Amino acid sequence: MNDLINDLYQEIILDHGREPRNFGECDPHNKSADGHNPLCGDNLKLTFLLNDQNIIEDIKFTGEGCAISLASASLMTEKLKGKKIEVAEEIFKDFTNLVSGSDEDLKVLNEEDSLYALKGVGGFPMRVKCATMAWHAFNQALKD
Amino acid sequence: MDDSKTLNLNVRKDFPILSKKILEKKDLIYFDTAASAQKPNTVIDETNDFYKNHYSNVSRGVHTLSVESTFRYEDARKKVQKFLNARSENEIIFTKSATEGINLVAQTFYEKFMQKGDEVILSLIEHHSNLIPWFFLRDKYGVVLKFANIQPSGEIDIDHFNSLFTNKTKIVSLTHLSNVFGTELNEKAISICKDKNVPILLDGCQSAAHLKIDVQKLGCDFFVFSGHKTYGPAGIGVLYGTENLLSEMPPYQGGGGMIGDVSLEGASYAELPAKYEAGTPPLVEAHGLGIAIDYMNKIGLDNIIEHENEITKYAFNKLNEIDFIEIHGGDNKRNSIISFNIKNVHSHEVSSFLDVEGIAIRAGHHCCQPLMKHLGVNSTARLSFGVYNSLEEVDKFVIALHKCKEFFNK
Repeated sequence: MNDLINDLYQEIILDHGREPRNFGECDPHNKSADGHNPLCGDNLKLTFLLNDQNIIEDIKFTGEGCAISLASASLMTEKLKGKKIEVAEEIFKDFTNLVSGSDEDLKVLNEEDSLYALKGVGGFPMRVKCATMAWHAFNQALKD
Repeated sequence: MDDSKTLNLNVRKDFPILSKKILEKKDLIYFDTAASAQKPNTVIDETNDFYKNHYSNVSRGVHTLSVESTFRYEDARKKVQKFLNARSENEIIFTKSATEGINLVAQTFYEKFMQKGDEVILSLIEHHSNLIPWFFLRDKYGVVLKFANIQPSGEIDIDHFNSLFTNKTKIVSLTHLSNVFGTELNEKAISICKDKNVPILLDGCQSAAHLKIDVQKLGCDFFVFSGHKTYGPAGIGVLYGTENLLSEMPPYQGGGGMIGDVSLEGASYAELPAKYEAGTPPLVEAHGLGIAIDYMNKIGLDNIIEHENEITKYAFNKLNEIDFIEIHGGDNKRNSIISFNIKNVHSHEVSSFLDVEGIAIRAGHHCCQPLMKHLGVNSTARLSFGVYNSLEEVDKFVIALHKCKEFFNK
């Protein structure tokens, strides 16, 4: 099998794509945003609960999309749950660099991290948007 | 496999991009002609030659290069006129795209013939480019839009279509060949419009290089298509309109080239077709389109259609045998396009997987989101064929599909 395909679809991606974790809506929540890829029609709704210490207490998503977009959203919710906003923002920046093939040094993510499994997306420039859709929704929710 | 056709053997070499290796080792199998067709050498060389040896602006100067450019631009119009069998060159308007052609008609037809509360009939299978220009009329001017349903076969439900007409129906706009299903518009839809004396626009983006077009025989009032889907350059489109309607409708954009006489108090407008061609047109692209038409004529449109029908039928039968494949649009006749899904695998995955095998297909909503919603899918994978494809490529594609299914369901 082609290396590029194996890099793109690592077992953890296929697993989270088939069975996304934290799928649903947070009740209660105080932050939400919609993610949408107008080029392909994939979409998601992200909700999370930010407590008064600026910690993400709970985070969930619903939506439909390809394995990459679902797995990315699923892994994101796993990663961000319990994190302080400042840390989450650093992870967002690192993740964006990771999947867009940027040479910039990663500050908080490393190869041990489950999110690292999405690095293979860099080999498919047209799929980067699939991987970043949930993250952009997260970023948008912080701004709103 | 009985691949007795010689057509594919002869034309593949005409398309330089087809010798490209994908990811440095895989032969390119291009099954995305419905998105944009590849270009033959003659189109590439002739557009280069235009810039190198003949280029200037059209219809403006009197010097040699202006004459040479104008000759090529107007010669392309003659070729398009013959290609569509229009009555006159005055009925051929060059635009930048088919999309611009539909916007032009929507805006100027409204201005001349419509008012608030008047109705336009469209259908559920339209491309966004044949929806949004009409949405503009609804949003800006209170025009009412009605949408014909489709049958499971992917064809427009003619009875429902017929029932949508009222005395306020002013224009109908439908796709001539569905970019999702590959099904041709039922001719009855056009005859109904004729009977009711309502003008009809046909979106010919997918039909222009894959069906024989005769606008007089079809009886449509407007017909649009794009150069890039007919083996010509991107950036050139064609609007055919009857001289009667084009004469009555007002100009679309104002600018150089579309005027009769200008003073500071006002202006008169040029005769057809210049009236609708404000600004410097995509003249080299128009010439390229003319060369693409020459190319299709040289092979023979009948040969092209027969060749594509054979491949489409072959691919349909192959896909239909596979239990994990769902084909959209039933088993009616298709022209050069097949939409499908691998059950439980998103079309993005299919397209990325096939990409590394060297196979280019389209995945997504195909600019038909209302139709996707109707089909109950988020996206589909789409195969579309051109003159350069072969049965052998279909066989390779089918093998890759099985590998893809195995990979994602392991």
